[in-house]
Amino acid sequence: MLKDKYADRIEKIFAKYADKRSAVMSLLYLAQEEYGYVTEDACAEIAALIGTDPTQVRSIAGFYTMFREEPKGRYWLQVCTDLPCALRGADKFYEELLQELGIEDGGTTPDGMFTVEHVMCLAACDRAPMLQCNFHYHEHLDMDTMRALIAQWRAEAGVLAEAAAVGDAPAE
Amino acid sequence: MNVIRGFATTLKYLFQQPATIQYPDEERPPRERYKGRHALKRYDNGLEKCIGCSLCAAACPADAIWVEAAENTDEERYSPGERYAKTYEINMLRCIFCGYCEDACPTEAIVLEHEHRLSFTNRRDAIYTKAELLDPPPAGLEGTPRQTEPGVYTRSIPEMKNPA
Amino acid sequence: MTTTVTIHIDGVPYAVPDGMNLVDAARIYAGVEIPIFCYHPKMKPVGMCRMCLVDLGFEVRDRATGELALNPDGTPQVRWGRKLETGCTTTVRAGMYVRTRTEQVQEARRDVLEFLLSSHPLDCPVCDKGGECPLQNLTMRHGPGTSRMAYDDKLHLDKHVPLGDLIYLDRERCIQCARCVRFQDEVVGDDVLAFHERGRRLQIITTSTPGFDTYFSGNTTDICPVGALTTADFRFGARPWELTNVPSISPHGPVGENIALSMRLDRDSGGVQVIKRVIPRQNEDVNEIWISDKTRFGHHFTLSPDRLREALARKRGELTPVALDDALKAAAKALKEAGNSVGFIGGPMTSNEDFFALRELAAHVGSRKLGLWPATLGDAAPAAEVGIASGSRLTELGKGDAVLVVASDLEEEAPIWFLQAKQAADRGAALIVANLRETKLDRYASRTVRYGLGGAVGFLDGAASDETLAQAANLVVFVGNEGLGADEHGVLLRAAANLLITTGHAGRRNNGLIPVWPGANTQGGFDLGFESAATRAMLQSAPDVLIVVGADVAETPAGAAALDAAKFVIALSLFPDATTAKADVVLPIQSFAERDGTFTNAMRRVQRFYTAQGPVGESLPAWQVIGLLGQRLGMDRPRRSAALVMKALAESVKLYAGMSYPALAEAAVQTPPIGISPGFYGGTAAAPTGGTGLQWPSKAESRAKLSVTPVEAPQAVHAGAGELVIVPLRRLYDRAPEFFASAVMHGRIPQPFVALHPSDAARLGAVDGGRVKLSAGGASLDVTAVVDATAPEGLALLPQRLAPGAFPQEPVAGRVEPVAEAVAAD
Repeated sequence: MLKDKYADRIEKIFAKYADKRSAVMSLLYLAQEEYGYVTEDACAEIAALIGTDPTQVRSIAGFYTMFREEPKGRYWLQVCTDLPCALRGADKFYEELLQELGIEDGGTTPDGMFTVEHVMCLAACDRAPMLQCNFHYHEHLDMDTMRALIAQWRAEAGVLAEAAAVGDAPAE
Repeated sequence: MNVIRGFATTLKYLFQQPATIQYPDEERPPRERYKGRHALKRYDNGLEKCIGCSLCAAACPADAIWVEAAENTDEERYSPGERYAKTYEINMLRCIFCGYCEDACPTEAIVLEHEHRLSFTNRRDAIYTKAELLDPPPAGLEGTPRQTEPGVYTRSIPEMKNPA
Repeated sequence: MTTTVTIHIDGVPYAVPDGMNLVDAARIYAGVEIPIFCYHPKMKPVGMCRMCLVDLGFEVRDRATGELALNPDGTPQVRWGRKLETGCTTTVRAGMYVRTRTEQVQEARRDVLEFLLSSHPLDCPVCDKGGECPLQNLTMRHGPGTSRMAYDDKLHLDKHVPLGDLIYLDRERCIQCARCVRFQDEVVGDDVLAFHERGRRLQIITTSTPGFDTYFSGNTTDICPVGALTTADFRFGARPWELTNVPSISPHGPVGENIALSMRLDRDSGGVQVIKRVIPRQNEDVNEIWISDKTRFGHHFTLSPDRLREALARKRGELTPVALDDALKAAAKALKEAGNSVGFIGGPMTSNEDFFALRELAAHVGSRKLGLWPATLGDAAPAAEVGIASGSRLTELGKGDAVLVVASDLEEEAPIWFLQAKQAADRGAALIVANLRETKLDRYASRTVRYGLGGAVGFLDGAASDETLAQAANLVVFVGNEGLGADEHGVLLRAAANLLITTGHAGRRNNGLIPVWPGANTQGGFDLGFESAATRAMLQSAPDVLIVVGADVAETPAGAAALDAAKFVIALSLFPDATTAKADVVLPIQSFAERDGTFTNAMRRVQRFYTAQGPVGESLPAWQVIGLLGQRLGMDRPRRSAALVMKALAESVKLYAGMSYPALAEAAVQTPPIGISPGFYGGTAAAPTGGTGLQWPSKAESRAKLSVTPVEAPQAVHAGAGELVIVPLRRLYDRAPEFFASAVMHGRIPQPFVALHPSDAARLGAVDGGRVKLSAGGASLDVTAVVDATAPEGLALLPQRLAPGAFPQEPVAGRVEPVAEAVAAD
């Protein structure tokens, strides 16, 4: 339960807002951090905390693209393919990226490493093709830089996995 | 003079094929657009075309058609969409064979075929039920209802060609 | 009063109230229909669908002089907006000019419709809404003939999503107007619907348990402007043009919701007319355009296979089917022998005509024992004195007004009043909820009062000194009988009357007392001289012959005992039940759907219902059965129609003077008109054909002098050692045959249970979900224990009519003992 585990943080979050309901976004981030994605139970927990119906919390989680509603890969790649980006080759880049990883649109690699999906505008049209990986922007991409990034992430994940295996995973 | 012309006509027809046909023994093929008894059609896969929308009944000027609809399930499927005709009846005593039902049908399920031998000995028999109207399934295919795989038939009306 | 301003719509000046919504003003005052999808006059405008775009302009005034600037031809100059504006989010004000027919506006409408249809599946032939669909209608009227979008590019979403067991969602058909979401949030307060995702994929979701958890879910299917929401009950039941809407009145509860029964022939029922669905019928004085799910889905009892179809009489101790004549003969014989020792008990669905026939029969045999069921109600005289004034509308209560709810769980007992009380609170009225336990209305209350058992009278007696109530511009008091004995209920009603009189609220419009009676025609019974107290007297000492009409008297131990004590029992009933099992003659009667009649709701509005379906079996209307019985006792033969019964009733009962069927059939003008025939606001509510009913004035309205009668609370029930006070509650969804016949509702009807406070449960050793045995007054019930922290300590809250078996209907001291589970949990 978030309520027990993060009592201090929840209190701090509530302190920031005049109305408890306003804290819903911060609590959703907290739930996502804890469970990896916004679970059905997390919605119910948050609803109980802010005094509303779970449906309303689920609605907010569904509206914003930064909340995941199902388990995703360790690296969550969101590629903007809106019109301005597409004009700069983002859709072609997206196709190639999918091919490179061998997955479908919105799919996750079998090793659980990457989830790739196309999204609406990320407000970096002048630096397209671009993508957002776990809320960090990577801009002016082409397949060469992309392959380098993938290799880098794979290596990082390997380090993390090894560290986890010896029992002291660095905090993410 | 006229008498001779008259006899000549008679004489001429004596050597021609008679126009009369011996109906019960012989039959003339109906014209392509002849409107006879209705038939409820099936798709090639054997599922019924009728979706029980009742538009034929609404279009019918003689109020001869009665339709009641129900919902398909994958366990018991009649038509590809969500809805099928649970009851489909046409009162042939009322029907005027105008073909409006055919025009109104959104899935081309009802067609006025060439069957014209309609006779009944009581009024109740004049009401053709769905079982009587429905075409048999194509050869070798199972009829309806039948069990289908979940997730195959998910549209409310089966996909049709672009009407544009 | 609001001031009137002049606005010009399409060049014509109209006088409209200042600040009114432009769409409403155009519709009501100018007869101009600005097309809409998302706007609904019962909810706040949101401007989501953009269908109501109009060209808006204002007259130009000279800044220096304030004079109107004029064109050379003398007409005022108008500065038109650069773009179109949404009519639904605009309120009218002086000097406004509106154009609704320009090419620009028409093009905007075409474009909006083309856009809405770009993802619409166009499956109108199978859609339940097809034929009464605002999207269809407005597309025909304003839409483009063709679409530039490729048909094959339509976005496909799930078509069969159950939102709970009552409502299905078709995600493709949804046009994202949010009417359902807003209804649940603004009108009901159960915000269990919401939007998920965004853009084209925006869709309605619910995650409540059970899904779409509310008593009002069916209304969303009415207001849905497309076929996205459909009811499980009606799904594919009929095409709208095949239905005949017969005006009727809900037989469930005291509100008297105006409804229309959509009738159609049905092959499975043997080719007879059946009720395919129930839709609301607009009556702004009663239920506006809302009905509860109980009313909407609780109609299946009318054609239930369990209905009594033939008369029964006791032969050699066994009830056997007999001809109606023989049954009547046996009943008449018993009546003749009994002389004037005859008692009459009428139940909650008994119509005014039936009560009147009973009254005539009673007069003929010389009996004055006119009883009303249930036997737990106090005297209704306070309601006749200071009952809510004629013409009052709960929808008009707002800032400065007060609504007081005492001893009633309005959501369970009268759901429509729950909505109206909640919305009055939303508009700023002070809502005070007093009860011995927490109820859902507490959420919206400005103040909640919690009293102990027997404390209701004390609270209400002291309420006159409460400033909120005393100084309220208008005051409406709802009085129920939850947790009250019959005497206490009577005293509480009197205390409410005292409050209204001392605070000077009695007799004024939008003020007064609303008794939350248990039945659809409890008020009518009181009006015709039937009393709950008379029933109690009959239960004490049973008359020789007891005539019971539509009342399951055997549902209480005292009632069952009285039936045994009476020498002869004549039961007129819809269903075989515990009462008919004890009867000597059982006569089948017709339900509200099979006959004409009138119900009087708890706001004293007499309303007509009409014959919709054919009779079941040999059943007759109760008034006719009673008339036939009377004929055998030497009375005139029964009147030929319900209209003639009502005519006689109106002539002999002063309160009902002038209430003939033609007078009751007159429909008051509804503003705004939302019913189907005007069809403008979209949705399936029927127009008020068939009459909106007539209210008889309370005594206070006739300026009669009213006096305060001091009240004293009767002794409350006390639990002895090891006992709890078992308090019966009324729940909306119960297992009474009139509701349980609707199989579609079974998932929502709880298992028989009793709610216990955690400390009581711990003391008694009852666990949550475990079985307990309740015993009181010689009766016992086996139910599930629910440990509920909101239950008051020392009380066991027992919803009525869930468990089979007789049990007292008043608070009673009794034992609650856990039952050892016979079967091991596996």
